[in-house]
Amino acid sequence: MSELTKKTDEDVIEKPLPPNWILQHPMYQHLMNLDVGDSAQVHAAFLVYLDLAEVRQWKEVSGVGCSELRLVLLEGREKEGEPTQTVLPLPVHRGLCHRSVRSVLARGSPMLLCVVASDSSLVYQRMCDGLLTPDPPVCIQDQGRRQHRKRRQQH
Amino acid sequence: MDSPEPKRTVSREDASKESMAISRQVIGINFCGPTPLMWRADELKSARELGIIGTLVGSLARQPRQNTRLGRPLELLPEEGRLLADMGRAAVIPDSTNEDPEVNPEQVQQYHAGMENSFQEQGAMALEDRKTTLLRVMTAKHNGEGTSSLTYRHLCDTSESCVLALTPLCFLLEDSGSQEDSNGAVRDRLEALDHGFSFPRTAMAVQLCTARAGLSHCPEVRRLLATDWPIPRDERSETRFRVFRDLRRQGFYLTSAGKFGGDYLVYPGDPLRFHAYFIVVCISMDESMPLCDVLAIARLGSNVKKTVLLCSSGESQEDDGEEVVYTSLQWSGMV
Repeated sequence: MSELTKKTDEDVIEKPLPPNWILQHPMYQHLMNLDVGDSAQVHAAFLVYLDLAEVRQWKEVSGVGCSELRLVLLEGREKEGEPTQTVLPLPVHRGLCHRSVRSVLARGSPMLLCVVASDSSLVYQRMCDGLLTPDPPVCIQDQGRRQHRKRRQQH
Repeated sequence: MDSPEPKRTVSREDASKESMAISRQVIGINFCGPTPLMWRADELKSARELGIIGTLVGSLARQPRQNTRLGRPLELLPEEGRLLADMGRAAVIPDSTNEDPEVNPEQVQQYHAGMENSFQEQGAMALEDRKTTLLRVMTAKHNGEGTSSLTYRHLCDTSESCVLALTPLCFLLEDSGSQEDSNGAVRDRLEALDHGFSFPRTAMAVQLCTARAGLSHCPEVRRLLATDWPIPRDERSETRFRVFRDLRRQGFYLTSAGKFGGDYLVYPGDPLRFHAYFIVVCISMDESMPLCDVLAIARLGSNVKKTVLLCSSGESQEDDGEEVVYTSLQWSGMV
């Protein structure tokens, strides 16, 4: 799908885009035709698609419908040869329940939640099953008196 | 019935029996409203060995106006108390402060009798004290030490409230009788003291016990009370408890996570020795979380190098066998 949207520099003819260019975009129409999510969620999914495919240059980004959750999901690979990841795109005003998260995790591939704000800014949040030990803090050496000295200087 | 009292002989068998008895002791929990509290130091140790950490919330008598170091009581999370009760290791001690005094007339009578005894004893001791002072004054005077002003002040200092006893003594000090008279005078004054002395009630010292006798409840009574745990029946408390129990079963130590906006902080070992690994947020499977909140707490977690865990308890209604599911929120690295 992403190949359709890519054009080399020579091929680009600068013509002004119609205001409803999103609606005419083949990927958008594909996502709509999946007939699962509501229009707000499809719109969010499309924006995430553009970010993954155009900006982050992910490979083989495609839209899939999840009828159980009534949501559109995206799948793709970050790089050639890497395993497929699943992205759950949601507009920020929606709520999220744990059950939906577990359903997406049950698909088996690494999961990203992507929240789309009203100004189209995107935030990605990785989710995984189980207890993931965090990275240790950078400096684990005993600071000794330094901590107290700093605090005193502030007063 | 096992008595948990330590034996005084120094045999090894006894010592190990004692430690076993302490480790099997039933922990007493006092409720202050809905909050479970623990007061006894040895029980705090037993609880910690079971992985129950709690929070110290009491003011220290010698360091009152600070809260970096606090003392007993140990406040427990409702889940901590409930887990102890479920394990059969804790019992609720009934609150006796609201008891009607008429209900326990024996105790009241005992108390008044004790007070009266104390009063009589103190009165007798005060009289003896007076007599000793008087004798000392007389002998000093007899030896011509000329310390009348000092002794007068001394008399005043020894008992400010014994005014009645002071009055005849004031006149006595002005007496400049001869040596042969003095012994007779002493006897007379001692007699006068015996008759005229009275110890006022307001001068009585009353002992306030700082170690409450009621804290040493006998273990048999505690076992009887063990069924008294108030179990909340709302879903959220139930979820919190199941998550707590499951994580405790896995060997983690949990404390409350007020500072981080979650439900618990999870440590791989004793909180005094480790940083927390996880911030636990307990939710039900179908509860809808606002996405802003999810992002906010995830961001906080990555800033403080802790993983945020979304925890829900599974579907089954039985106590055992229901599964707790955990979802970790991780920094995506995609800026």
